[in-house]
Amino acid sequence: MIRKLLIANRGEIAVRIIRACRELGIQMVGVYSTIDKSSLWVRLADESVCIGEPPPGESYLNMDRIIETTQKVGADAIHPGYGFLAENPDFAQRCEEAGITFVGPTSKALRLVGDKVAARQTMQRAGISIIPGMTVVGKKAEDFRQAIAKLGYPVLVKASLGGGGKGMRIVRDEKELDMAVAAGRREAKFAFGDESVYLEKYIEESHHVEFQVLADEFGRVVHLFERECSIQRRYQKVVEETPSPALTDELRREMGEVAKLAIKSAGYTNAGTVEFLLDQEDNFFFLEINARIQVEHPITELTTGIDLVRQQLLIASGERLTLSQEGISPRGHAIETRIYAEDPTSDFLPSPGKIRWLKEPQGPGIRVDSGVYSGYEVTPHYDPILAKLIAWGKTREIARRRIIQALKGYVILGITTSIGFLIDVLEHSQFVAGKTHTNFISKNMKGWRPNDQALTEALIAAAIVSSEAPAATKVLAAQATSPWQELGKWEMGSGGI
Amino acid sequence: MVEYRFVYAGKTYRVNVEAATGSWLISIDDGEPLEVKLISSSPYCLSFSMGGRPITAYALQGDGRRYISIDGESFSFELEKSRARRAPGVAAQGGGNVVSSPMPGFLVKVLVSGGDKVEVGQTLAIVEAMKMENELKSPIKGIVKRVKFEEGNQVDALQPIVELEAV
Repeated sequence: MIRKLLIANRGEIAVRIIRACRELGIQMVGVYSTIDKSSLWVRLADESVCIGEPPPGESYLNMDRIIETTQKVGADAIHPGYGFLAENPDFAQRCEEAGITFVGPTSKALRLVGDKVAARQTMQRAGISIIPGMTVVGKKAEDFRQAIAKLGYPVLVKASLGGGGKGMRIVRDEKELDMAVAAGRREAKFAFGDESVYLEKYIEESHHVEFQVLADEFGRVVHLFERECSIQRRYQKVVEETPSPALTDELRREMGEVAKLAIKSAGYTNAGTVEFLLDQEDNFFFLEINARIQVEHPITELTTGIDLVRQQLLIASGERLTLSQEGISPRGHAIETRIYAEDPTSDFLPSPGKIRWLKEPQGPGIRVDSGVYSGYEVTPHYDPILAKLIAWGKTREIARRRIIQALKGYVILGITTSIGFLIDVLEHSQFVAGKTHTNFISKNMKGWRPNDQALTEALIAAAIVSSEAPAATKVLAAQATSPWQELGKWEMGSGGI
Repeated sequence: MVEYRFVYAGKTYRVNVEAATGSWLISIDDGEPLEVKLISSSPYCLSFSMGGRPITAYALQGDGRRYISIDGESFSFELEKSRARRAPGVAAQGGGNVVSSPMPGFLVKVLVSGGDKVEVGQTLAIVEAMKMENELKSPIKGIVKRVKFEEGNQVDALQPIVELEAV
């Protein structure tokens, strides 16, 4: 069993891994860049070590530093979380060579599936249908033009390494191509340290359905059913749910078996996700294997009752899977919304800044996986995800209503977030009807603004707090018994900070 | 009567507050005054009724802003006067002579330099934050007067990056 684990990540997923470690009695060490010094996971971990400057290459992507730190603190394993080094085979190999357990597949399997181009080749050989497109990395402008001659527009530029939509660009005509490839390369280089990109046919209004798989080191492979992740902006998921409203039982069975075949063909172990695109005629294509714990893993945990991070740690410790396929029967429906620091009124532009006050929702069936707190400064250096809100209900409709209620009680003051937008997505008649496809946001939510009534009420509230409201002031002055309240009536949290 | 001017999404709203007995009369722009009663207030939380309907708002003020959240919808209002004081260059943004970053971030690419001729819609620079790139495009046909930052610099929201001269 792993004795001491180093968590090579940040934000909410670092917090999530800390929790799993505590439950298993594993000691854990957090790492942070200088700007993340007062972050939540740094406070929660048994110990934390600063590993460098804010740019990811100098800290969270700095393999030398991370391996060196692991050895220095005497940890025997590394959990890479998602993003950063999670799917980097060189890093997994460095761990193997240093005798450190990498919580994930072997470097060999990672090299195969973590590289999307290599994965496409493998799946094609195993007889699994892949999305039409390039099966080698594009080097020269000519490579891309040749591929397009066969595929036709629109196409997607995709980064060969990594995921999360980084480096991805849709190209609808010739004149966008060079810029899109260049931008994709830059983004990929920044996020994953590798600029390889390739092209794939872009399938409009498809469903993005993925299957969670667990595989131990003794050849047992089970799937934990699907997640529907079609609601995306900038090719990044915003709302996820399970089960998928798009699947029939027959399709679900078939895709589950293909998912297991994909994992076996790649010699893959630990937790992984097999992503498929489902077109409007119910054809499904292998998209990629996400060789990591996924951001949206909690919805599977809520419906199957299986703790995925715990399973990851057990598998990495060399334990046998005790789950059987027949024994996994999901119950009810779960929905996750990602809470991003971004402005939905201006094309989801990032909105870093200080969270002046935070109130996370509660209630039956509600779970919040958060990496932030009141007073936390959201930095522009990293991904805009702040937290995830997940709701479980016996039916899709109950889960939907629960998560809307929870979003309405979610308060983040100081920075702009996607919360108001998410409520309107979940209340949209097309979402209610289960018509979730990858163009949902561009098609149904274009030009989104908060409604006028909400704006009117907020303007009135702003005027009230600005007014010398004698009654309110007096009430507060009378209650001002703690040093916090003495800071001032509405200036709390903004005064001396 | 007190008038507040709040800026939201580039638009200014005039909110007039008139104290009455046990309540306020509040109007927005030239709309009808609404009767607003305070129900309770505690730090960060404010309950009031409007036309008999109870509303709970989470609120705080600071840095010339009012942060309000009602039913999950949140707003950051800037007081108009502080906006004018803090960023005089912004006025020119609409005029097309100054191109600013729409978000805080890092200048990852500067594609023009002083003296360059630029066309409408031409990409002048690229700002990146949270791994998302944003292209700053020229709103006019003209000549680059000055680029105020270098690649790698950190920039603030609404900070002028490129100054242009129309031709």
